Amino acid sequence: MRLEQDIRVINKLGLHTRAAAKLVKLCSRFDSSIEISNSKRRADAKSILSIMMLAACQGTELKMVIEGEDATEAIRQITELFESRFEEQE
Amino acid sequence: MFTLHGTGVGFGIAIGTARLIRRPGQEVPEYSILSEQVDQEIQRLTNGIHSAAECLSAYYEDIREESADEVHAILDAHLLMLRDPVLLEQSALIIRERLVNAEFALQLHCENLQAVFRGIDDPYMRSKSDEISQVIGRIQDELLGQHAGQSSLKGIRKGEIIVTHDLMPADTIEYRKYHVGAFLTSLGGPISHTAILARSMQIPAIVGLHEGIRYLKTGDTLVIDGKRGVVLVEPDDAALDIYEKRAAKIRRVTRELEAIKYKPARTLDGQTIELNANIEFAEELRQSLECNASGIGLYRTESLYMNRKEFPDEAEQLDVYSTLLNATDRPVTIRTLDLGADKQVDGGRRNMSLATNPALGRRAIRLCLHDLTLFKPQLRALYRASIHGDLRIMVPMISNQAELDQLFIVLDEIRDELAHEKLPFKSRIPIGGMIEVPAAAVTADIFAKRLDFLSIGTNDLIQYTLAIDRIDDEVNYLYDPLHPAVLRLVKSVIDAGQNAGIPISMCGEMAGDIECTRILLALGLREFSMDSAVISEVKQRVRETHIGEIEPMVRDLLTTNESNPYRDLIRQINR
Repeated sequence: MRLEQDIRVINKLGLHTRAAAKLVKLCSRFDSSIEISNSKRRADAKSILSIMMLAACQGTELKMVIEGEDATEAIRQITELFESRFEEQE
Repeated sequence: MFTLHGTGVGFGIAIGTARLIRRPGQEVPEYSILSEQVDQEIQRLTNGIHSAAECLSAYYEDIREESADEVHAILDAHLLMLRDPVLLEQSALIIRERLVNAEFALQLHCENLQAVFRGIDDPYMRSKSDEISQVIGRIQDELLGQHAGQSSLKGIRKGEIIVTHDLMPADTIEYRKYHVGAFLTSLGGPISHTAILARSMQIPAIVGLHEGIRYLKTGDTLVIDGKRGVVLVEPDDAALDIYEKRAAKIRRVTRELEAIKYKPARTLDGQTIELNANIEFAEELRQSLECNASGIGLYRTESLYMNRKEFPDEAEQLDVYSTLLNATDRPVTIRTLDLGADKQVDGGRRNMSLATNPALGRRAIRLCLHDLTLFKPQLRALYRASIHGDLRIMVPMISNQAELDQLFIVLDEIRDELAHEKLPFKSRIPIGGMIEVPAAAVTADIFAKRLDFLSIGTNDLIQYTLAIDRIDDEVNYLYDPLHPAVLRLVKSVIDAGQNAGIPISMCGEMAGDIECTRILLALGLREFSMDSAVISEVKQRVRETHIGEIEPMVRDLLTTNESNPYRDLIRQINR
């Protein structure tokens, strides 16, 4: 199964180190391949260095491409993490 | 034997052996390898990454229980980076293509990553590139450790003196663990991370040694005098003997002071004195509480604004102030922005003109009232944070009533705005003024009627009163906190407060100077605020003072007209 979805960074500090770490930990739990990209770069969502290179600050629009058996569940949980502002206050 | 000089921070004297620590950004060895060595070098790289990860993860396990969530989050992220296959792949590719050693390949890879970060607009995000160089530095340390037997953090022995380029926030977590004896760094100033760490570990440090550290090597015997900022390298027996005796004395005094930490600050004639702490960073709160400060008498907010391009917005400040207030139920006095003069900011901020004489220029409250876009976010953040604790707001550098008029109008506006936006805040926060301009000291009675408290800022008050720039070597011998003019001004402020029935405190360096403690007590001062490290010392002095007995001598002091009897009198008071 191949799913695509746009997602927006809403937490204040953006995809900084700690938020990236949370995202990578979550993505690594899934068998599906997960790719996140901005207008310039594509990143393997299981590699923290690649995710940090996206340098996605608040308001950035990202695109997710997820391919694999558990893609639906992955999309759901990743969206939830973004929407929870990576469990940060703002 | 030779000596090096820098800025002394932290406390006391340390004697120990030097341990040089290489840090990211410093040079790593660079050499070519043969194409048949490539696989072997990549294996070396793989091992290096692996052992760096092992080492960090073992350390993480070690401190997990006792450290904060914040620390876990950083270490978590660093471990993920070390285990990120991209790191190995990219660096291995550099080894293969350029036929260079693993350390240098990592360096090149690190620089590539840094280049990407430098292109980022967001300053917060950009600052995160340091974390990558730290992680890569760990691997390089591992590799060098295997390679030449050089130091990595894990071999540090208790009491060793760390010699390095600069300390980073993440290092501070580790060094606590090792009970090092002192820090020497080429970079850094009195408010650098090194300085804060040294203060909180209660060890000496000398920062800003610049090229000086090149003359040091691992294993050198060093004497560090944190108070004077001097390093003795390979001291002779006579010097060593002197310093060992001094160090022993300091240890003895420290033990004595430790013993009075939880005793009340009460004079022999039964007056209870409030001893508050001055802090520069919210992280220093814990240390202040450990020193049993009655509260925070001065939180300087400038550090929030310095060393960055963009100024902190309301939300960021709200977060900092709320965290601070939530952490204690003791009173916390936060001073509004005191930029200008010796505290210039980096950022390309408009209106930050370089005046010919910045100390007399548009600074502190003048700057804030001139630029409300700078001032209002801070005041809004303070009002919003006020619900989390016992907050008082203090305004620096006020010199006339018009400034107070304007301030009160702005505060009214802010309360209206917040009420309108339905944001919670305390409407009645004590507002105080810092008395540091002689004009304000002379008219303190007028200020005292309009404000809830006053705090005497002696550093500026003395320099303005005596017309002395303290950092000017040619005149700083004239800097004298006990000049009768200064004492009379201090007295008139204290009297004004007593007449108006509002509290008067003192938050300049004079408040933490035990040579002045008794005199200030006799002048009627009952609230002091100082660096938390000197609270116990001042408390000891308070506990040995009978105010009634010294009052007549201090009265004489204000009218003595010759310099020699004046000094004698001070000696007598302090006996």
